[in-house]
Amino acid sequence: MLDAQSYFDRISGDLSGDIAARASALAAAEAVGLPTRRQEAWHYTDVARLLGKPTDDTIEGVDFAALNPLMAVFDNGRLEAAPNAQGLTVSPFQHDGATANNAVLNYNAALAQDGLVAELSGALAQPLVVTTQGDESVHLHHKIILAPDAKAVLVDNHMSQGYTNARFDIALGAGAELTLIRVQQAGHQIGTSQIKLSENAQVKTIALVTGGALARHEANVEFTARGGHAELHSAVLGRGENHADFTYVIDHKAAETTSNTSAYNVLDAASRGVFQGKVIVRKDAQHVDAQMQTRAMMLSEGAEMDAKPELEIYADDVACAHGSAIGELDRDALFFLRSRGLDEGSARYLLVAGFIEQVLSHIDDEAMADTLRALIAQKISAQFSVEGAA
Amino acid sequence: MSALLNIDNLHAGIDGKPILNGLSLSIRPGEVHAIMGPNGSGKSTLSYVLSGKDGYEVSGGDMMFEGQSLADMAPEERAIAGLFLAFQYPLEIPGVTNMTFLKTSLNAILRGRGEDEMDAASFLRLAREKSRALGMNDEMLKRQLNVGFSGGEKKRNEILQMVMLEPKLAILDETDSGLDIDALKTVAEGVNALRAPDRGMLVITHYQRLLDFIKPDVVHVMAAGRIVKSGGAELALELEKSGYAEYVGETVNA
Repeated sequence: MLDAQSYFDRISGDLSGDIAARASALAAAEAVGLPTRRQEAWHYTDVARLLGKPTDDTIEGVDFAALNPLMAVFDNGRLEAAPNAQGLTVSPFQHDGATANNAVLNYNAALAQDGLVAELSGALAQPLVVTTQGDESVHLHHKIILAPDAKAVLVDNHMSQGYTNARFDIALGAGAELTLIRVQQAGHQIGTSQIKLSENAQVKTIALVTGGALARHEANVEFTARGGHAELHSAVLGRGENHADFTYVIDHKAAETTSNTSAYNVLDAASRGVFQGKVIVRKDAQHVDAQMQTRAMMLSEGAEMDAKPELEIYADDVACAHGSAIGELDRDALFFLRSRGLDEGSARYLLVAGFIEQVLSHIDDEAMADTLRALIAQKISAQFSVEGAA
Repeated sequence: MSALLNIDNLHAGIDGKPILNGLSLSIRPGEVHAIMGPNGSGKSTLSYVLSGKDGYEVSGGDMMFEGQSLADMAPEERAIAGLFLAFQYPLEIPGVTNMTFLKTSLNAILRGRGEDEMDAASFLRLAREKSRALGMNDEMLKRQLNVGFSGGEKKRNEILQMVMLEPKLAILDETDSGLDIDALKTVAEGVNALRAPDRGMLVITHYQRLLDFIKPDVVHVMAAGRIVKSGGAELALELEKSGYAEYVGETVNA
């Protein structure tokens, strides 16, 4: 989005909502521009440089069909057809004109042409797959609300080759449970998720990035009442000059809330992985348990991993920890597998697949997990010149 | 009968440091040989050199396995040829189940030998049967390979791999270390069940205890990278009484 103003002028006739509010959001965004490395949260991700890089990653169709999903396909920024199921209410997208103190969100507020606005209640029997495809620059603003005790699996299936600024606002009612699976295979994406949890709500996000010149996945998790649980797990398979950045702020505003974060990066060639995780435990939020783990397997000397865990704790009775392990492919493990008859390629494949499996194993639905395993198997074979093993 | 494994005047080391200094050893099919020796005598190095671990350099001598030189073979080629090493420190492989690993390994070896791969049902039946015989429950097959296993469970798991792969020559590197007496018996039973006229075994151990359960045909004493004495099973008992001091002294002066 290098010339946002002219883009805005061109599309403003098609944009819904209050155009004046959008214009002021754009002005606020343009006043500061896209983030630069001078901002702490963007220190490792140089947006302007990465947006200038082409992306040549292939996009595989993930075979969700076998799971009989509800589909919401955004083709070049427009929802093709609203999904329809019991317990799912989809409303037309309406721009709300809100602006924030954040250029990425302000560009989104100014330019978002569409988004899934959905309210879920009860246990949704089918997974809801939101697919973003096309090659144009798009801004999407999704709003997902889970009613109390609702249960759902949501997939953010990013298949776009273009630039995407995607915002997810997710609110979980008391006792609601959401599994959010995200897949990015290519393109340039800056994604921002705001996830709010009410009492005893549970969210689990599993993000797989297998390509893309820019994959920035930012999540801000906020516990507003006691008993909530959040898990954020990510797996990155980096090739070429892929850049994958997971940046989280997990704000434990309420007591007896727990979070568990893990980041697994396999980085080849000149790819780069970034993990920034900040856990905040507020003053009265006692009995919080927050765990954070970063693991990276470096397959090339040209690859880079930046891990920055942060704990900001104001309560005194909490259990918080973070750990980081960055290393090469384990040569002893490689020898062990070869001594059991596996050729070097199959041994490497098994070690990489096993590494990523530690993220996939968090998916409760086995059919869903197998669908994603198939994608990962295909990507590992294609990206790291290793043979698939049975 | 020709030797299964014939090691002749083997010199090998790591990082330019010589460890094996003219080691010779010959194992015929059906024989169980034990190698005993003090720490640092090169016992584990011998197991790694035989199985082809990276970083070990052979600077002289021969190691012939069924008439084929091992030196030029990749670790997987040696496994396919029928060599098996039970590791002293079994590796943990997170994210890979024991079952997936065993199946991948067995099928890689079958494929390498030009045989048909085993179908899922036959494999499952075989794996269950063999693991139960070693006192392992089915749950252990579903767990990640050696992750969270106790020392004894890891060693049992090595023996499970051995009985699944049915090697021609099994090298057991300090398989007794970290085992209590019950686990030791179970492991020894697993090993003894594999004794066969066409199979050889090389049991590396620091202590005589394991040899109470796995009776060797030949016992070798290794010191400073060479075999310094060979004898029958009684040699192990002698060592248990007198220790290694005699041999260590001899090789230092040699």
